[in-house]
Amino acid sequence: MTTRLTPLTLAQWDARYEELKRGGLSEPSYGGRLSRHLEDGDLRLPKLRYDPSVAALRLWNFLLSEEDRLAQARASGRKIVGAMKDLGTVPVMAYSLPNVTAFYPDGAWWIPCVMELSAGVFRAADACGLDESFCPVRAMLGAFVTQAHFPIPDLLTCSVGATCDDFSAIAQRLNGLGYPILWWEIPHRRAPDPGEKSVVLPGGFVASTAQVAFVRSELERVRRALEELAGVPLDDARLADGIRMANEARRRLAELRRCVYHSDPCPLPALEMLVAEMLIIHFCSDRGETLSVYADLLAEVEARRKAGVGLAEGAVRVFWVNPVADLQVMNLLEDCGGRLCGTEYLFCHAVDEIPEDVEPLDALARAALADPMVGSSADRAQRICRDAEAGRAEAVIVSRIPGASHCAYEGYAIREAVARQLGLPVIELEVPPVSDSMRPALRTRIEALMETARNRRAQ
Amino acid sequence: MIVVGVDGGSRAVKVVLLDADSNLVLAAGERDQSVDHEGVARVLLNELLEKRNLTQDAVKRVVATGYARNLIRFASSTVTEITCHAHGVRRQHPDARTVVEVGGQDSKLLRLNEDGSVRDFQMNDRCAAGTGRFLEMVSVRLEMPLTEIGKLASRANTRSAISSMCVVFAESEIIGLLAGGVPREEIAAGVQQAVATRVAALAGRSATPPVYFTGGVARVSGMDRALADAFGQPVQVARDPHLTGALGAALIAARQARNGG
Repeated sequence: MTTRLTPLTLAQWDARYEELKRGGLSEPSYGGRLSRHLEDGDLRLPKLRYDPSVAALRLWNFLLSEEDRLAQARASGRKIVGAMKDLGTVPVMAYSLPNVTAFYPDGAWWIPCVMELSAGVFRAADACGLDESFCPVRAMLGAFVTQAHFPIPDLLTCSVGATCDDFSAIAQRLNGLGYPILWWEIPHRRAPDPGEKSVVLPGGFVASTAQVAFVRSELERVRRALEELAGVPLDDARLADGIRMANEARRRLAELRRCVYHSDPCPLPALEMLVAEMLIIHFCSDRGETLSVYADLLAEVEARRKAGVGLAEGAVRVFWVNPVADLQVMNLLEDCGGRLCGTEYLFCHAVDEIPEDVEPLDALARAALADPMVGSSADRAQRICRDAEAGRAEAVIVSRIPGASHCAYEGYAIREAVARQLGLPVIELEVPPVSDSMRPALRTRIEALMETARNRRAQ
Repeated sequence: MIVVGVDGGSRAVKVVLLDADSNLVLAAGERDQSVDHEGVARVLLNELLEKRNLTQDAVKRVVATGYARNLIRFASSTVTEITCHAHGVRRQHPDARTVVEVGGQDSKLLRLNEDGSVRDFQMNDRCAAGTGRFLEMVSVRLEMPLTEIGKLASRANTRSAISSMCVVFAESEIIGLLAGGVPREEIAAGVQQAVATRVAALAGRSATPPVYFTGGVARVSGMDRALADAFGQPVQVARDPHLTGALGAALIAARQARNGG
C-alpha cells in the first residue's frame, strides 16, 4: 500500500509554508517562502511544481539564495574563486582553504530559464559578439558584463583543452574584456598505449600515468595561485581534509541517488533530484550547508520509503542524459508517466569518490581526468549503458542544449550504444532555456517514449 | 459497437469510424484544420456518422491522436501519433518494419518489431525542412498547388541543390534560384530531394525493409521516389497514407472498448 506524492504549485507551497510556520517550522538563515524569489525576478518559479517536503524547501532556498551568499562572502572579506569549466576539481582545492569561497560562474546558464529571459544576460552576451549560435552558457559572459548576479571573483580559473569549444570561446572573450583567467589544461583522455603504465580512474575509466602526471602539474599551478590568493599554504594535509569533506558530500549524494533511483515508487521528483545533483559540483558556494541539505533530503527519502510514499507506481523507469536548460521539462517527465532511475548529467565524475589512498594532488588529477567530457563519446556511452542497466532503465532520454557543441555528436553515439547494447528505446530532445512554445512537441516525444516502453513491458 | 479515431494534425483533421467487433472501417474523412481543432473534428465526425445513419450515442469510445490530441475534449483518451501510425500501418501492411511518416509540421521514423509494435522511433526537432510545411512554402513560391509539385519535379533533368537546414533560409535560396533563372522543375526536384534527405537522416545508418510511407506528404507524387533514393531502397506508400494515424487511433479505441474501457 503506497501513498501518492503530489507535487505542489508555488501558490500551494506558500499556503503550506504558512501552515508549517504556524506549526513551528525551524529554518536556516536563507529560509522563507519560495515565492519570495519571484521578487528577485525568478519568473519561472510559478510554472514549476515542487516536492512538498521541508527538505525540498531548504534545497530550493539554498539554490536560489546563492547570490546573497556570495555577496556576504565578499562583504566579510572572504576570497572568492570562480572555477569555470570545472565540474568538481578546483572547488575541492579552494574549499580546503579556510578563507576562500568557490563558485561556478558557468551556473549562470540557468539564469535565462529561471528569470525567463528577463535578466538581459543573453542580450549582454549578444553585444559581446556571442549570439544564440553559442551554448546558453554564454549567459555567464552576460552576467559578468551586467555584474548583477555574482561578485567579480578575486581569482578566475578555467580548464581548457579537451573541453567544450563554445565554452573556450566564451571564456576567451571574457578574458579579452579584461578579466584575467588562470588557464589550466586538461588533455583528451586517450586509451593507454600497449605496455604503457596506466591507472584506473574513479568511475572506471583508464588513463595513462603520464596523463595523470601532466594534469597533476597543471593543478600544481592552480594550487600555487590559490595559496597566493589565500595567503596560507595549501599543503597536502589541508588538501586531504578538503578531499575527505568533498567525499562526504559525494557519499551522501550517492546514497540519495541510490535510494531515489532504485526505489519504487520513486520517493523524490526528478526536478529536485536534478537540483540536488547540481550542488555537488561547487557546493552552491557553501560546502557545509550542502552536507546539511543532503542530510535532510536523505532523511526525508528514507522516511518516505518506510511509509511507502512516492510518485505514481509503475511509472516508466527513465535514465536521463545531460542536464536540461529548462527546469520545467523535469516536471514534464512525470506528467507523461515517467520517473528517473538514473542520470548522467555530464559530471558523473563529481559523484564518484576521489581516491584517498594516494597523494592528494594526484588523486585530484585522476578525478579531473575521469570527467566524461574529456574522453571519447564511446567511453561516455559505455558508462551510460552500464549505469542505465544498473538502474533497470526501460527507456533513455538524451537531452540536448541548443548550440552546445559538445552534445552534437554524442547524442547519436549514445543512442546507438543504448539501442545496440541494451535494446532500449531512446530519444533525443532539444531543450532551450524557455521551452513553452515547444512543450506540445516535447510532450509528444516523451509520451511516445513512455508508450513504447510500456508496450515492451507488457510483452 | 462503434469506435472512433481522430487524428488532429497541424494541416488537417482526419476521422475514422470503426466497427469494434469486426475491426472494419465504416467511414473515414478529412477536413482542413483551423484554430478550432475540436470544432472541426466534431463537424467531421457528425458528417461521417450521418453518412452511416448513426448518431453520437452509437459511439462507444473515441481516441484522439496528433499534435492537437489534447484539444479534442470529447475524446475518451489520447495516444501519440507514433503508436497510432504503427497500429494503422500494421493493420494494412503486416510486413512493415519501418514507417516513415511525414506530416505538416514534423517527420518521424518508426522501427517496428516483427509483431508490429514500436521498437524505437526518431522525430525531427530542429527545423521544418523535412516536413510538409516546407513543401507548402515551396508551392507558394513556385505559384502552383502542392499536389502539382511532384508532376513538375518529374519533368526535371537535374535537381537544384537546396542546402539550408532551415525553411526560412531555404526559402531565400529558392528566391535566389528563381532570380537566377533556374527552371521551376529543377527547384521542385531539389526541394523533394532536400525533404527526403532530412527524413532519411532520421534513420541513421539503416532502415529495415520493407519501408512504408504515411502521412499527408505521402500523397504528394514523387516524394516516395525521392525517399527511395535517399534511403537507397524501395519505399512504398501505405494505403490511404493520410488516414493511418486516425485508423491506428480507432483500432486502439476498439481494443480499449473490448477491454471495458
